[in-house]
Amino acid sequence: MTSPAMHTSPKAKVTTPGDRDIHIERVFAAPRDRVWKAMTDPALVAQWWGRGNKLVIERMEMERGGHWRFVEHTDEGVHGFEGRYREVTPKDRIVSTFEWDGMPGHVIVNDVTLHDLGDGRTKVVTHSLFHTTEERDGMLHSGMEGGLNQSYEALDALLTRM
Amino acid sequence: MVQYSRQLDSAFAALADPTRRGILERLGRGQASITDLAARFDMTLTGMKKHVQTLEDARLVTTEKVGRVRHVRLGQHRLEQEAAWMARYREMVEGQMDRLGAFLERTQEDNP
Repeated sequence: MTSPAMHTSPKAKVTTPGDRDIHIERVFAAPRDRVWKAMTDPALVAQWWGRGNKLVIERMEMERGGHWRFVEHTDEGVHGFEGRYREVTPKDRIVSTFEWDGMPGHVIVNDVTLHDLGDGRTKVVTHSLFHTTEERDGMLHSGMEGGLNQSYEALDALLTRM
Repeated sequence: MVQYSRQLDSAFAALADPTRRGILERLGRGQASITDLAARFDMTLTGMKKHVQTLEDARLVTTEKVGRVRHVRLGQHRLEQEAAWMARYREMVEGQMDRLGAFLERTQEDNP
């Protein structure tokens, strides 16, 4: 008799720790080596990443700073997804950015880690952090404003000393 | 969330077209008239009106007629779109995890 865990993968556990992040944990009935290969070999990724539509992996440069771009061809049209790898640690961790062509400027940072459960199973933890254009522009704006005010204050101080 | 998903489905369809994505990109820099957009994208007025209508139906843009000119600007529902995008993204990753699980089971015999 084989363990039922070897045949059934528990459904994903999803939590939303903050307004802007999603935490997804999922246990796979496969050793870490196989899970890593399925997630990083383009020929294998093409077999599960898309929703059953034709998926073209245009780029998948799995190294720090490398680009990835996947294009899904559906009856309604073409959806492009892309980003850059920020960290790739073999069999352990992939940090990458994710953008959909349809929501330009809305960048998601994905931190994916693989955990060997020691019984032939692997837990994959995906933590996704959403950056909005508003947030980015807001930060940029306030940062510039602050910087400008500081410059003016410094100029004021200098002028009073002169 | 259901209405978010429905709205995002129409947004997905609306954005599948590169011209419509270009229009949004252009509108991100400020409003424009349909005539401006038609000229910018080298299209007929009728063709541009259709694209704008699709974007308006998906609530990605709003239009306002001032005199004889119809102005187009980015929709007022950016936050809703973002919430919808997050929901859709979450569904996408969950679906991917399901398919990865199925893939690993399917290929178990090939790669013991």
